[in-house]
Amino acid sequence: MTVLGYLANGLVFSSIIVLGSIGLSLVYSIADFANFAHGDTMTIGAYAALVTFGAVGGLGGAVLGLPFGFFLALVVGIGAAAVVAVATEKLIYEPLDIDSIGLLITSIGIAFIYRALIQIRFGSDFTRFDIQAQRPIESLVPYGVRVTLHDVAIVGSAVVLVVGLHVLLQYTDLGRKMRAMADNPDLARVSGIRTKRVKLWTWVIGAGLAGAGGVFLGLFNQLAPRMGFNLLLVIFAAVILGGIGSVYGAMAGGFLIGMINQLTPFFSTVVEALPIWPGWLAAALESLISIEYANAIAFVIMVAVLLVRPNGIAGEAAT
Amino acid sequence: MSALTDPKGAIAELTRPEGWVLGVSVAFLLFLLAALLTGALGPTYFLFLVGLAGMYALLSFGLNAQWGFTGLINFSVAAFFGIGAYGSALMTASGSPIAGGFNPLVGLVVALVVALVLALLIGIPTLRLRADYLAIASLGLAEVMRLIVLNERWLTNGSAGVRGIPGFFSGWPVLSTFPETMPGLRLEVIPGSPVILETAFWRASLNVLLVLAFAGTVYYVLRRAHRSPWGRVLRTIRSDEDLARALGKNTYSFKMQSFVLGSLIMALAGVFYTHLNLYVGPGDLDPITTFYAWVAVILGGSGSNRGALFGGIVIVTIREGTRFLNDVALPIDPAPLRLLLIGVVIVAVMRYRPQGILPPQRELIWPSAVDGRGTPETPDSGVREQKGGGGDE
Repeated sequence: MTVLGYLANGLVFSSIIVLGSIGLSLVYSIADFANFAHGDTMTIGAYAALVTFGAVGGLGGAVLGLPFGFFLALVVGIGAAAVVAVATEKLIYEPLDIDSIGLLITSIGIAFIYRALIQIRFGSDFTRFDIQAQRPIESLVPYGVRVTLHDVAIVGSAVVLVVGLHVLLQYTDLGRKMRAMADNPDLARVSGIRTKRVKLWTWVIGAGLAGAGGVFLGLFNQLAPRMGFNLLLVIFAAVILGGIGSVYGAMAGGFLIGMINQLTPFFSTVVEALPIWPGWLAAALESLISIEYANAIAFVIMVAVLLVRPNGIAGEAAT
Repeated sequence: MSALTDPKGAIAELTRPEGWVLGVSVAFLLFLLAALLTGALGPTYFLFLVGLAGMYALLSFGLNAQWGFTGLINFSVAAFFGIGAYGSALMTASGSPIAGGFNPLVGLVVALVVALVLALLIGIPTLRLRADYLAIASLGLAEVMRLIVLNERWLTNGSAGVRGIPGFFSGWPVLSTFPETMPGLRLEVIPGSPVILETAFWRASLNVLLVLAFAGTVYYVLRRAHRSPWGRVLRTIRSDEDLARALGKNTYSFKMQSFVLGSLIMALAGVFYTHLNLYVGPGDLDPITTFYAWVAVILGGSGSNRGALFGGIVIVTIREGTRFLNDVALPIDPAPLRLLLIGVVIVAVMRYRPQGILPPQRELIWPSAVDGRGTPETPDSGVREQKGGGGDE
């Protein structure tokens, strides 16, 4: 594959990471804790869509190689993730009387419960959406770009969702309230903002986007009960890279981490080509920069960012 | 201590949760004893379970030294456990892709040294971070560790794992042949269901002795450390790090010490696991191991060593109980059921009893200073010294 091909793959994977990281960042800034159940919220979205798609079927026509039924399933997946997240907030998080560290630990328990229930119901094997796999778009193959219509659909839908979120945050009442709350929750409350309600909406939006990300992840790869948890740390890496609490930072961080993740094979060819001295360093780099370590590279970047710039590329201020 | 001389008084002194835990433990012990005598539970398997419980207790002690004492959110328990397990396995196993064939004591030392180095490597960058960043960073680094173990086949055998590990006592003068020389015993407590004790049983009992020695030593050391002036600084850091700094303590250094101490204990648990299970694979570094230890600690009560011990036993009950349930009653895959139980326990503890079942109370205070038994006869490092600042070490 050429550089262009890797970039195209990176774009598709980035779209999924961005969807996940926005929600995580929103919840981090407004509910004020690191939500370890976010990855498994994505899994819930994916499996809800799987069930829906299995029930309704294709519903006739298709757009971008995806039957109409799939878009209905996508909506159901988003809705299911949001409903589950709101129910969890109402039943578990809200009655808790503990600090953000306690909430963090609780969210791990929640993550396990989500994953365990899915695994009990669907088994631990990989599954796929019952959609014909697409061939890469012919006209792009000469450039070394092997993307399918499905990939285009993923990127397109992600762009629509992200633009929608931008409009919501910047131009609606709810968005202003959310930004106010992220900035200073106490001040927001004394200004008459119903912070509880805003928090619920945050969960709806964050989990909904995560659900969409999960559905697309299932379409891009496969579905498995561990899919969300495996992606969770990559998403954390993206959120931290972008600066916790900054939605636009999370978008940028998600984009970068997704790109780096998919560009790893390209980096390894670059390292092989470079004349690195001494020889053992070259050998070590060659073995460490490989597809197996694509996620590990993201985690190392995450730790490095935490050390050098704990506020991320965008900093805390710009929500 | 006083439980032997004055059992009634000791029971009357217990708090309610302590009484509950004691009652449930005694009932559980009786249940196990009954199962043993009727032959429903093989004695060798039972000893294996005891060994496993001891191992989880060790793991929880290690985490307790970090989270319970100092408030460090370390989500890389599995990495240190795995380092201990792989360190000793690679040194001792016949199937080791590198060296191999050394005495298990060499393996123990190597594992601890490697764990020390790794603890410094992980600790130096992450311990300066805010608590929630530390959680994420340590989970990430543990995952990096797991990927390395999984992919560097020349070093670790990759996903095949390491086999051919000897028992811990192989190569020792008497103990290495002890299981073979012991005669097979046949006990018939209940007529018709004899309990047969063979070589495997004696081997397992050696393992239990080993883990009891490990856990006992660690328990004693941690108990002393927690009460010492050093432990008091750690507790201050846990409740208010700025205060500790204002008192002139180098909190980073104290955190590092507690991190290294805990990591070594986790590695010790890993070493024991290697010689108990006689096989290690990359699956042992799965994050679930980390959260087993976490559940044990928060369930038992953060900062409480006996709570960690209790938590360790609960974990083994969940782990093996789900397997048993799958065999006997409900045909539910044990893996997700275990996950579900762990999740429910975490949420329930955080919801109803965030301080844990056996939170540290009197065990933090120098024994002679409690219960109005008059003023303590000036302990060499007592509670009263706090005003003067006390020594650091």
